Amino acid sequence: MRILARARALYRSVMRRKQVERDLEDELGSALQELTERYESRGLSPDAARRAAQSDVGHIDLIKEEVRSYGLAHTFDTLWQDIRQAFRGLVRTPAVGAVIVLIFAGGVGSATAIFSLVNSLLLEPLPYRSADRLVFVWQDLTAAGYPRAPLAGPELEDLRQHGTLFSGLAGIWANTVALTDGPEPELLRSGLVTQDFFEVLGAEAMLGRTFRAGDDGPETPPAILLSHAVWKRRYNSDPRLVGARIRVNGRPTTVVGIMPESFALLLPQDAAIPDDQQAWVLLGRDALTWPRQQQFLRVVGRMKPGVELADAQREVAAIGEQVGREYSDYGKDGAKFYAVGLQADATREIRPALLGLFAAVCLLLLIACVNVAGLLITRASSRHHDTAVRIAVGASRLRLFRQCLAEGLILSAIGGCLGLLVARAMLAALVSVRPPALARIDGTVLDMRVFSFAAVLAIAWGVMFALAPLTQLVRTTVLSVLRGGGRGTAGPAGSRVRSGLVVFQVAISSVLLITSGLLAKGFYELQRTKYGFDPEHVVTFKLSLAGSRLRGAAPIAAFSTELRHRLAAIPGVTAVGATSHLPFDTVPNWGSPYLAAHESDETRAGLADARSITPGYFETVAAELMEGRWFTDADAYNSLPVTIVDTMLASRLWPTESAIGKQVKAGPATTGRPDVTLTVVGVVRHIRHREVTRDVREQIYFPAQQSLRNPMAYVIRTTTDGADVMVSVRSVIAKLDPTLPIYDARPLESYAAHARATRGFTMVLALAFAASALILATIGIYGVTAYNAAQRRSEFGVRYALGAQPRQVAGLVLRNAVLLAAVGVAIGSFAASVAAQLIRVQLYHVGPSYLPAYAIGAATVLVAAVLAAWIPARRAARISPIESLRAN
Amino acid sequence: MAFRSTELLKGTVDLLILRTLELGPRHGVAIADRIAQITRNTFVIKPGSLFPALHRLEADGFILGEWGETPEGRRARVYTLSAAGKKQLGIEKRNWERISVAMGQVLEAE
Repeated sequence: MRILARARALYRSVMRRKQVERDLEDELGSALQELTERYESRGLSPDAARRAAQSDVGHIDLIKEEVRSYGLAHTFDTLWQDIRQAFRGLVRTPAVGAVIVLIFAGGVGSATAIFSLVNSLLLEPLPYRSADRLVFVWQDLTAAGYPRAPLAGPELEDLRQHGTLFSGLAGIWANTVALTDGPEPELLRSGLVTQDFFEVLGAEAMLGRTFRAGDDGPETPPAILLSHAVWKRRYNSDPRLVGARIRVNGRPTTVVGIMPESFALLLPQDAAIPDDQQAWVLLGRDALTWPRQQQFLRVVGRMKPGVELADAQREVAAIGEQVGREYSDYGKDGAKFYAVGLQADATREIRPALLGLFAAVCLLLLIACVNVAGLLITRASSRHHDTAVRIAVGASRLRLFRQCLAEGLILSAIGGCLGLLVARAMLAALVSVRPPALARIDGTVLDMRVFSFAAVLAIAWGVMFALAPLTQLVRTTVLSVLRGGGRGTAGPAGSRVRSGLVVFQVAISSVLLITSGLLAKGFYELQRTKYGFDPEHVVTFKLSLAGSRLRGAAPIAAFSTELRHRLAAIPGVTAVGATSHLPFDTVPNWGSPYLAAHESDETRAGLADARSITPGYFETVAAELMEGRWFTDADAYNSLPVTIVDTMLASRLWPTESAIGKQVKAGPATTGRPDVTLTVVGVVRHIRHREVTRDVREQIYFPAQQSLRNPMAYVIRTTTDGADVMVSVRSVIAKLDPTLPIYDARPLESYAAHARATRGFTMVLALAFAASALILATIGIYGVTAYNAAQRRSEFGVRYALGAQPRQVAGLVLRNAVLLAAVGVAIGSFAASVAAQLIRVQLYHVGPSYLPAYAIGAATVLVAAVLAAWIPARRAARISPIESLRAN
Repeated sequence: MAFRSTELLKGTVDLLILRTLELGPRHGVAIADRIAQITRNTFVIKPGSLFPALHRLEADGFILGEWGETPEGRRARVYTLSAAGKKQLGIEKRNWERISVAMGQVLEAE
């Protein structure tokens, strides 16, 4: 029952302090009385007895003091005194306190915000059952320029048959389905999956179930699984929807289940499977027997319990080798399969960026730490005299240390709370400006791990704050300070270290400023880049004919032509066309092998991005015709198969002659084989549609009538406001067929903007870092200059006494600061030129030695340095010579 | 060295107080009297070290102090050994025995 007894004692000592003190007094009084009486009974006189008793008991106040120090009350008491003292100290110099708290909040806040991203993207396991057993299988078609390619249906079958280490292997293919029930037809981003996909992934339905064996039977009606968002929006969260029939692509389809709201498909970004799919349907069983040249399946595998990733990888590679030997077609020669851990691969692209960001934030945090410590040291040395006096009158060093600690912890508590607010705000800001490729950061939350991170950071920093002034405290010897007239005792070594730190900070902020200047210039260039088309004044929308009454090439061609003519008749429309793939869109790519017609060796085939386009498409997006002609309505489904190739393809196949009239074999019917011979009628300048900064792969274009694709994206060039035109477009289409779903109505420019967004994001981040580094460096310069100026007070006094002008003295202070800044800028500029080489790939159309960026960066830092030194310089100019000398 | 010997002494005072209270509740002066009597005045604990020790032991929860009356009818704080105190006494006794055995060995060694 010791705890109870202790608690009681604690209660007494804390809550009933007065009572305890009175008890002690009474007790000692009564003991004194007893002893006095005892001495009297031994025959002493009352006076002598009292004196003897008193000498036995001793000094009552000392006893009381000693007893007091046992109680926690005492500890709280002095702690409270320390805190009050610390507060008084802070209030005495509020500007310094405020600056420290702000730096602290900014530092902890940004580090916490970035850490929360690291936490949710890299540390948290993927939200699937035993996610560490999931692997993703790629096919390496590097020979065909495709190192991370999907698999063909039969290849998934190979893996399933020969794989022994997997409890399941499933495939998914991104596509769209049209919901054709109700008045508003709608197209959904959907996944076509094998029946065991969700089981392998380890995800459950929220309502109903996921797919199961038998759902893909020939007799059963097709099944669909809907996302929570679609269920909520389109069906008002009606639980009766599960088991009901809806019309999908014009066919009655059973809704088997609704996925939970939190479900997202987190596959590798370049697998072209969107995170936010809206529906899942089953891949037909025959898909697994489609030709081996049609690679479209993304494969997820679940390892059996206890299987090592390395073993699974070996098995997958062995199966791939087998396949490569048995079917050595074009591009397939030496094909390899490889499996990677799903989590590692899903975050493959973002991990280096995120860790880099985290490292940068930690570096800033470190600089901020150094600065704050510098400010505190400066202040501690200005309180030197004060401290020495307190030591002289008997304050223990422990007590002084506790006060420093209290001060540090107060600052870190306030700064830490503000820091969490800053972290929340920064996270919200990051999420709102994030590029589409970083959609996964949307779900980031500040959870317990993040809070602990912030708390540890705050406390560590607080303790460091406490220790920094202590370096001064330890050196304080009462005599030297009191005799030395209150000047600090920090030697030249200390001030050299501080100067070094400032130079370091200035250098870092110069590097960041210069490189972000280069990035900004590159981004500006990027915005002015021609991508081979002109996205301005073009609106786009997509239209799906799935589920419409149109069947067969002739009616679809007729409908398309009719639609284009009607759209062209809308006032303000200057050109109309359609394509299977808009530039920079995220729909799954369509690649077609191609081969010069006279070539029979299929291993020499190239792989081109294939696009199906209507007449008018190139004209609308203002592509550049290099040779020959565009497609016309005469290039019909039953006329001579023709093609337009891009400059890359033309120069690869016919480097020295004109491509026009040449023949090429390709696969416009999506069989995956170059089995149709086409005549080249035109050469178009390569259109960038994958990356904004470089030409990625050859392109081959087929007339839409000769290569049917659905859905098609329409492009309309307008002279008036795009939004007005879209209203007319909708009414035109509704008149033709009100059941057709129109979706993704947006300007073509927005696709290009999305493609640029990642670089824009990088630039904004770099600028933000540069700005914060500059602020920190400014504070650093201020701190050092102010400290040095204070140290030289009496020297300045002597100078004044000898006739120096205030301007000259201020000049001395300024010169010092500018000198430090200049050294920092020089080092920083050199480091920036090295850094610029390292980030060369990020620089678009800007040389790493683009001088204006260096000049502006250096000038900015120098101006900031002068401004920072201005305050102490002015203070030095106002020193009264008499006072500064008298202070000695 | 000075520091260590006070530590040792402090421990001794604690042990003496706890042992005395094991025999029954007593007030401060009576505790000192009893110790002096048993040790035949080898240990005379002055109130100046007795009362702080009592309050420290109370803060540790080893003894409980209550206002009561002495056999002579005087008002005084009477201390009782708590359960935790009994346990602590056992520990200190064993400690002491170990020390005294060890000391004995040192002193008897040739």
